[in-house]
Amino acid sequence: MDGESRNGFVGLVLVSHSAEIADGLAKLVAQVAGPSVPIVAAGGGPEGTFGTDGGRVLEALQKAAGSAGAVVLMDLGSSVLSVRAALGELPEETVARLRIADAPLVEGAIAAGVTSSIGASVDEVLAAAQEARTVAKL
Amino acid sequence: MPSSDTERRATLPAAVPLHARPAGDFVRAAAQFPAEISVGANGKWANAKSILEILALGALGGTELVIAASGDRAAEAADHLADLVPQLA
Repeated sequence: MDGESRNGFVGLVLVSHSAEIADGLAKLVAQVAGPSVPIVAAGGGPEGTFGTDGGRVLEALQKAAGSAGAVVLMDLGSSVLSVRAALGELPEETVARLRIADAPLVEGAIAAGVTSSIGASVDEVLAAAQEARTVAKL
Repeated sequence: MPSSDTERRATLPAAVPLHARPAGDFVRAAAQFPAEISVGANGKWANAKSILEILALGALGGTELVIAASGDRAAEAADHLADLVPQLA
């Protein structure tokens, strides 16, 4: 997956402290949601450490904010701070196409990916991600 | 069981649990219809348009699903999904 928002489907940006988590989740979501949904993984710190890399997050947001927009999902703490910082560096018209999901990363990404694959709007995809907070697992 | 206009039963292929790609295919198919659609398996019910609820059913290969639809084009939706389930791969 090249992650480009090359079509009309809402994209996802997955931000995690671990590159493996972000990359693995991108693959999992692609399997459930199908190949149409652009997914950009931005995991891990600079030089392969655990953490977040502001530059990588910024690049991911720029890449994902295509015409249909993108929903950003994060794991914890500094992932959220990195996304906030990156938003501050992007032009208003790019920020307007992005939505930040307050949702569990894995469940939210699955719900968002499948909803995007149906052709939903960026706000509908955001709502699907955030519904993941309340859907029972058992 | 939710009240519904139309109910159909369909069995998953033996080797295909309602997980990952098949679950996504099922939800995408359900989302094409305006009807309210529920899926029952193992005594639990899920909204057919919610991937997380579908995954929580934990329906393994060979499980019989009940598809209950109501509202606009309910019969068409139930028929379509009941036809799809045995073909999931």
